[in-house]
Amino acid sequence: MSNPRVTGAIRYAQDVEFEGMLYASILRSPHPHARILRVDASAVPDSVVVLTPDDIRELGMYGCQIKDQAVLAADRARFAGDPVAAVAAPSRREAEEAIDLIDVEYEELTGVYDAVEAVSQGAPLVHEHHYISDNDAAYFGMRPQEGTNICHRFRIRHGDVDEGFKHADVIIEETFRTAGAQHAPMEPHASVARWEGGRLEIWTGTQTLFNLRMDLAGIFNIPENQIRIIPPPMGGAFGAKTFVRYEAIVACLARKAGRPVKIVLSRYEEWLTLNRHPATLRVKLGARSDGALVSKQVECWVDTGAYADCGPGVAQKMGYAAVGPYRIPHVRVDSHCIYTNLPPNGAFRGFGAMQAVWASERAMDMLAAKLGMDPLELRLKNVLVDGDHFCTGELMHDVHFIECLKAVANKIGWADNRQGKGLCVLMKGMQTPSRASIAVEANEDGTYTVRCATAEMGQGAWRSMRLMAAELLDVEPERVFFPEPDTDIVPYDTRTTSSRSTYMMGRALVEAVRDLKQRGELGYGECVNKGGLDPDTGQGIASTHWHQGTAAAEVRVDEETGRFQVVKLHSAIYAGRVINRSGAELQNEGSMIMGLGTALFEGITFAEGQPTNANLSDYNIPAAGDLPLAFSHDLVEREGAEVHGLGETALPPIPPVIGNALYSLGIHVIDLPMSAEAVLNAIDRRQQRQGMDAGEEVDRNKSREGRLEAERRPYIPEAKGSQG
Amino acid sequence: MSQNIPEWLAPISLEEALELRARLGDEATVVAGGTFIGILMNQRIIAPRVLLSLRNVSELAFIEPGQDDGRNQGDRKGLPLRIGAMTTHRAVERSPVVRQDWSIIAYTFSLVASPRVRNQATVGGVLADADYASDPPALLQALNATVIARSLKNGEREIPLDELITGYYETSLRVDELLVEVRISGNVEHAVYRKFRSRSSEDRPCVAVAAAKVDGKLRVVVGAVADRPQYFPEICALADGQQVDRELASEVGRRYAESIDPISDSRGSAEYRRRVIAVEVRRALEEMNP
Repeated sequence: MSNPRVTGAIRYAQDVEFEGMLYASILRSPHPHARILRVDASAVPDSVVVLTPDDIRELGMYGCQIKDQAVLAADRARFAGDPVAAVAAPSRREAEEAIDLIDVEYEELTGVYDAVEAVSQGAPLVHEHHYISDNDAAYFGMRPQEGTNICHRFRIRHGDVDEGFKHADVIIEETFRTAGAQHAPMEPHASVARWEGGRLEIWTGTQTLFNLRMDLAGIFNIPENQIRIIPPPMGGAFGAKTFVRYEAIVACLARKAGRPVKIVLSRYEEWLTLNRHPATLRVKLGARSDGALVSKQVECWVDTGAYADCGPGVAQKMGYAAVGPYRIPHVRVDSHCIYTNLPPNGAFRGFGAMQAVWASERAMDMLAAKLGMDPLELRLKNVLVDGDHFCTGELMHDVHFIECLKAVANKIGWADNRQGKGLCVLMKGMQTPSRASIAVEANEDGTYTVRCATAEMGQGAWRSMRLMAAELLDVEPERVFFPEPDTDIVPYDTRTTSSRSTYMMGRALVEAVRDLKQRGELGYGECVNKGGLDPDTGQGIASTHWHQGTAAAEVRVDEETGRFQVVKLHSAIYAGRVINRSGAELQNEGSMIMGLGTALFEGITFAEGQPTNANLSDYNIPAAGDLPLAFSHDLVEREGAEVHGLGETALPPIPPVIGNALYSLGIHVIDLPMSAEAVLNAIDRRQQRQGMDAGEEVDRNKSREGRLEAERRPYIPEAKGSQG
Repeated sequence: MSQNIPEWLAPISLEEALELRARLGDEATVVAGGTFIGILMNQRIIAPRVLLSLRNVSELAFIEPGQDDGRNQGDRKGLPLRIGAMTTHRAVERSPVVRQDWSIIAYTFSLVASPRVRNQATVGGVLADADYASDPPALLQALNATVIARSLKNGEREIPLDELITGYYETSLRVDELLVEVRISGNVEHAVYRKFRSRSSEDRPCVAVAAAKVDGKLRVVVGAVADRPQYFPEICALADGQQVDRELASEVGRRYAESIDPISDSRGSAEYRRRVIAVEVRRALEEMNP
């Protein structure tokens, strides 16, 4: 069967065309923080439809978790790139030219561009008030802190960490940072909107059709069933195509124009749309001299940019992922989702786990070094096994960390020699709670039609569904039809994120086929996972299904330049039962390659709020030539096991295994990406330490931590006695 | 139709192209492969009114062994080489003539970006753009190459690479001239090119070092670290009549690092570049004299 992605037959959102359609372009604020005093579009020709702040003041606000965004930045621009006005013209070029004819008067305001600074006293407030969203993506207790830039605060309280540290023989403490990143899907964001008899129809590349519909209903104050969302297959998404992006703007333009309107973003605009959260994580970890972990304290400063988007969810998942898959009697986590005057940050493959695992697993190797213990042994001693409880109180089942750890250690020759090698283990949660539903119809010609909302973004979800359906129905996959999702014809699904579709929709499908066999013509199935965490204590069910993975790396360092080569990279991911083997393998490989970019060179840079590398020349993503000399992975399978999501698990372990491999050579890098320059600086610090050790007897850990304490300790206000 | 769509002129002969160049001067932006101009236009950094494309000037796409000037004696050295301005990077990289006699040139062009870019980007374009982060200029300067500039009024003018690039995106080409050819003499022994990338394998260099012995003299050129390729004849003169050993190689590297005032960009800070220059120059010289 020819692949329509390869032959070009596939129709993406940007290929959707209508008679008389107009093309949109957006006027963006050049200032990262400014009051908008006047928008004058009088010079724009009559053939062009213009949307200015006055057109949107009557509309509702939106935001999937915190309702903080208007269709246009009406009175205040909060990041350089915030949409201030929009136009629709007969051609893209005319639209771009019309944008230049709009005159905007701004009054510049002081901005804040770092999450740690944004919570310091006197920092400018990005939003005056925090309104909790009524979208069902706001699925946990939001804890915005009024009068601060904190739009959500998540805590875990398990045991008594202070008491725990008193019983620790060895304690390490470090502050880690990770950079922002661009998803850089090949296909940019694209949407087409039209109004048909008062009903809004939108073709858009989205992973979240139902959440999008909810927010649009709120914006236009119309019932959800007056909105139809059709997501064509996407050319990559990685979390970027979630919730409301430009759909509201094109819908407004289409309504004003009385004609369909399309928008396709330029590559540059992708950097102004959604990126990955830069984060600062401070970890304090204590163990007894035999390596048993006793206490762990984590603080996260999660930069969500100018609008919250799903940042609260990211901060929450980062918070519990940073604990790691270990038995620790005393755990305290404080994770903060913080506004800054940078472009919004949102879902990104790994969803907070990458940042968390970078800090947590680098800290484990620091602890192993201080204990004089093999980092693998330290992990094997503490890692969760079936029947253990996680710090959230939930009981762990179907746990395979030890098996995965042994697989990667074997592959990398850990027992022979540990120089230049590193490994890591992680657990990543899946969206909990959530609901997936699916309908299966038996057609008269012996074929079947499966209707579900799972979005196809290149991950192969539709192929996996088709294979599962064919197996359950006992027919050839070619006899299973899969109409493209459309909110008018598919039943509800939470969203295509968090590697949940194969697992959740797969289980719903089993129910639907069972129902079909009973009823004959039409079957309906639903899968609901219940749970969630108390945001003030972190107790509850973080995830009903854990993504479990490990990786290992070997590096070779050019000590004169800091440039290093990843000689070997291997991951072992628990897969349970594999449905679509080539798809599963590609997910692992793709995740690992994306993780390499994060590890080695991806990082969005800003100068006073202005992006400075928002193009694919100044910002590098991995190329084929960047792959390690030996690049491999295992799908760890169990006969008869349940299906496991695999879309993201192999990304978060990649940066720490490389960081730990460098650390085995005394090269201690704490910030991502690990650029050649950062590595060379770390080599310099190692030389200084060695010089110091040779000269005088100093407790190098103490002096180093002392210095870090003074230089790097971020300040965060403690809202005294506040429970939200 | 929008007035901002540039006029596209695509002459099919050099003569016609030179006439248009003379007539339009600054009003027309010359396009060769378009890999650079395309980015500038897409990012709306430039909005030319007229584009003068050389794509159809097929007489500018050639690779030919040049005239042997008779100086080529003794050990077998490279033969003279002429490359037309509209020759693509990929054509240079794959040319049997270049690969046989000038493998260092084939190698250097093969390191530029990706095959898709190399199939478009041209030899004349990369020199006339004078982008500080390109690979070929440093190598061609180390080889003491020259370019031929032509104009309707003055005919041919030969410009040494040493004098072609004058600053960021600036050359000594005149407004009525077109760069038509690159010439390399045959008197080159041992040439090396080291592309130091600090990030992806498809990235541009953070530090590029080209070194060659031309007419018995060492020429070391460092690219991608400043507004134009950096060449210090007085430092290279340290190697006159000397066998370049590790000590001398280190000394040349150290002096290059001291003499260059490096830039900071997304590929590395000035301080970092300075350290890498010292290392990479030394390594280039060691590679020349294994």
